[in-house]
Amino acid sequence: MAWYHEIGASLTSVFRRRSQDRDLRDEVQFHIEMEAQRRVEAGMSRDEAQAAARRDFGGVERHKDDTRDERGASDFFDLWNDLRFAARSLAHRPGLTLAATLTLALGIGATSAVFGVVKRVLLTPLPYGHPESVVAVWSAWKGFDRTWLSYDEWEGWKARVPAFADIALYTDGALTIDGDSPERVQAANVQATVFSVLGVHAERGRGFTAEEDVPGGPSVAMLSHELWERRFGADPAIVGKKIQISGNAVQVVGVLPAGFELPLDYSTGNRTDLYLPMQTDAARNGAVPGPAFPKGGASHGFYAVARLAPRASAATANAELRTLVAELEKFGYMANVNFHAFVVPMEEQITGPVRPVLLIVFGAVVLVLLIACANVAGLLLVRGEGRRRELAVRVALGAGSRRLARLLITESGVLAALGATAGVILATVTVRFLRSNAPRGLPRVAETSIDWSVLAFALVTAVITALLTGILPLAHAKHLPLSSELREGGRGATSGRARLRWRQALVAVEIALAVVLVAGAGLMIRTVRNLLSIDPGFSADGVLTMRISTPSDWYQDSIRVTAFWDDVERRVAAIPGVKKTAAVRLLPLATEMGDWGLVVDGYTPPPNQGTPADWQIVTPGYFETMGVHVRQGRTFNAGDDMKGPLSLIVNRAFTRQYLSGREPLGVRVRIGARDTTKWYTIVGVADDVHHNTLTGTVKPMFYATLAQFAVAPGNTRRSMSLIVKTDGDPSALIPAVRSAARAVDPRLAVSEVETMRDIVDGAIGGQRFAMQTLTVFGLVALLLSAIGIFGIVSQVVASRFHEFGIRAALGATPRDLLSIGLRSGLRQAAMGLAAGILVALALTRALHSLLHGVSTTDPLTFIVVSVVTGAVAVLASVLPAARAARIDPNTALRID
Amino acid sequence: MSPNDRLGPRAEILRGTLEMLALKLLSEAPAHGWGLSLKLREISHDVFDVNQGSLYPALQAMLRRGWIRAEWRASENNRRARYYTITAAGQTQLDAEVADWNRASAAVNRVLRHAYLGA
Repeated sequence: MAWYHEIGASLTSVFRRRSQDRDLRDEVQFHIEMEAQRRVEAGMSRDEAQAAARRDFGGVERHKDDTRDERGASDFFDLWNDLRFAARSLAHRPGLTLAATLTLALGIGATSAVFGVVKRVLLTPLPYGHPESVVAVWSAWKGFDRTWLSYDEWEGWKARVPAFADIALYTDGALTIDGDSPERVQAANVQATVFSVLGVHAERGRGFTAEEDVPGGPSVAMLSHELWERRFGADPAIVGKKIQISGNAVQVVGVLPAGFELPLDYSTGNRTDLYLPMQTDAARNGAVPGPAFPKGGASHGFYAVARLAPRASAATANAELRTLVAELEKFGYMANVNFHAFVVPMEEQITGPVRPVLLIVFGAVVLVLLIACANVAGLLLVRGEGRRRELAVRVALGAGSRRLARLLITESGVLAALGATAGVILATVTVRFLRSNAPRGLPRVAETSIDWSVLAFALVTAVITALLTGILPLAHAKHLPLSSELREGGRGATSGRARLRWRQALVAVEIALAVVLVAGAGLMIRTVRNLLSIDPGFSADGVLTMRISTPSDWYQDSIRVTAFWDDVERRVAAIPGVKKTAAVRLLPLATEMGDWGLVVDGYTPPPNQGTPADWQIVTPGYFETMGVHVRQGRTFNAGDDMKGPLSLIVNRAFTRQYLSGREPLGVRVRIGARDTTKWYTIVGVADDVHHNTLTGTVKPMFYATLAQFAVAPGNTRRSMSLIVKTDGDPSALIPAVRSAARAVDPRLAVSEVETMRDIVDGAIGGQRFAMQTLTVFGLVALLLSAIGIFGIVSQVVASRFHEFGIRAALGATPRDLLSIGLRSGLRQAAMGLAAGILVALALTRALHSLLHGVSTTDPLTFIVVSVVTGAVAVLASVLPAARAARIDPNTALRID
Repeated sequence: MSPNDRLGPRAEILRGTLEMLALKLLSEAPAHGWGLSLKLREISHDVFDVNQGSLYPALQAMLRRGWIRAEWRASENNRRARYYTITAAGQTQLDAEVADWNRASAAVNRVLRHAYLGA
């Protein structure tokens, strides 16, 4: 064979396609006219002859396609024709096309949206320079698994841990930007070196200098990019300007880059908008200057970040810290409390808790996608059933198998493209929803966006989908037994057997996958129920909260602060619908609480251990408003003010730990170790409130009133949360409560407006997110499987119509026929269910870290899953099977 | 109309066979597609009903392989028609195929004879 002819013809095809098309058209035209002429000569009328000739030739367009096929090089051009053909044939079956498109859109859309989240949260590097060498540094001791550093520890680690290139401290807080509309923003006091440790440079202006970061240094600030845009309209001349912050004029020296957040911000979910230099030293922190350590220890209140030295790893840093702490312990620093210090790689700290949740959700959504593919493959197989003869005719007319393959793949490709387009829209909507409803406690989810990589992912998914859904119908088309197919003449009682087996296998697989998802959802539902049934020690229902601060410039002393809260509470209580109101230092489950060393009269702590207790400052109505039960003694009342006797309420953990066997009421307690502070008297014992976590153990806690805390130890609480209890919807009260607060002092900013219910839900955000997504995916999976079963039973009933007719004629009752139909669907369901349960038993182990109070193989969950899946299978089978029962033998036998 | 009707009593021509027959006819005289289909049917006494859907693709395939050439000429009744002419390569191919066919059909006939004798 002359190879150059092949190439030459292919090339001419490419360049001379139009003229060749014309040739073909003219040639066909000539053929038909001559044939018609022949028939006219044989005695036919001209019209008849024309029609017969045309018919004899067959579909003119199709022959053109086939002929072109033989010219070579047609792959380039026939794609368009294939696309047109596919579009046409899909348009002929709008129901099927719509069902397939929606199914794929669901699969591709959900997968892409989840991928967007995974990419943002787990794959996008943190906004730090070389984030892999940034670590968080923590201290820990008895009762504190992960807590803050003391100033001494910072000095010590900085000087004596070679694995640290540098280590820097910061603390968090909130400040008010004054003006016509004062705004409360998250603020941080940072050491000047924090930004270099994090590897970040100011986007405008500069960072803090060492000279600025000294006690009594200048009033300077840096802004987050977001605050600069939002509050200052992206003023290009902001650097050097003075702004009013909580009553002080502060000069802006720089703006941080967009997207920058402190490590802490990822766990609180709020961006720090305002940065001030820390301006502190050892003396101000009760610390020993320099790398030396005191015996005992001091206040631990700093967050710390460190940058690892070149070639150092988190492991080397931890090893060096271990050695150093062992030395210090011998010397007497923080002895006998099992003190240790450790680092956590920043990526792990920030994304560690969400990683299992997201990977599970991603795994679940891939299962949904597979189910969607199986369903569409099933639909296309049915469609293939109806097209067997069409395809056989095409082969008979000379279409090669390559051509058929292309046609079928083009069809599933068009479906996948439609599905992907709709899917991307769905993903966009989902992501938009996620952005505004990002679960609390899942860092970075709110930053998710649909970018090119998500689109690329959707594209790849679509291609895989096209192949997955196209391959089965294609495998069948390839084995078309040509002549037999044509001769079979459509009496297909047995012809679709192989195809049916494939569909049955597909449906069994769908059900198995659905079982896995539903089992996962079931376990998460039980977990969330268990978590919600934990008594947190308070009642979150109907409680609205918001944070208000009383800066010292406007409220110089505790008397004014107390008066402010009295006034606010009085006004809020007057709002219709408000049952009770109070203020509290820290909301449970919203923040972590540190402790305060006490002296409990008659209790001697073990050597080198103090008597620490979490400290909660409240106004008198707190227990009633938050629904915390006081079991013994009394709650606070108006008499517990500055002039009254100092009264303390403690929790049950306090009595267990420090007052075991004693009558708690009347015991004297001093807040702080100094001999000069005044004694409080315990007047009540309250239920344990889960403050830091829902599942952890509750530590000893005491409650003092805002007014008396100002008397001893003499501190004024500047920032408190207002809590408002109502019988109705707490969010409905927001405007009224806000305006009540504004009526007292319009200068004060109100922030963190939330319901207590949201806060509690947020505390189990990871589990809830997993539960919600798995439940949605599980329901979708069940629905798709039901559609699959429905389709199979319908097909069985339809293909055995004759048989059923004969059976009915021979005396089978409708009930017999119904059960035959049902069996055809339920057999698959049973197989899928069995396989699914086995797979689920293996896969639910992945959920282990998320579950609470339920094992990964919880029998109850698996029984319910089996029952639900079985019920769905029966429901999906009954409808089409009922058709079999209604068969009238006469019509069934007559149909051809 | 179902394809069965047309395929009914007549024989299906395999693609290779169709090409060989077309080459044979073209080796006698250049012809256009319609002429070829007509001639095939006449000469075979209506046994071979050439499917147009096979003929034109087959011609196209042979054009591509360089066994035949095509050109537009005036037909017998003075109409524009596309005439196919066999090339040297086509002649070689035809000879090879005819030889193959003869060998194969002789073998088939021997088997058939043998089978009859044996019956």
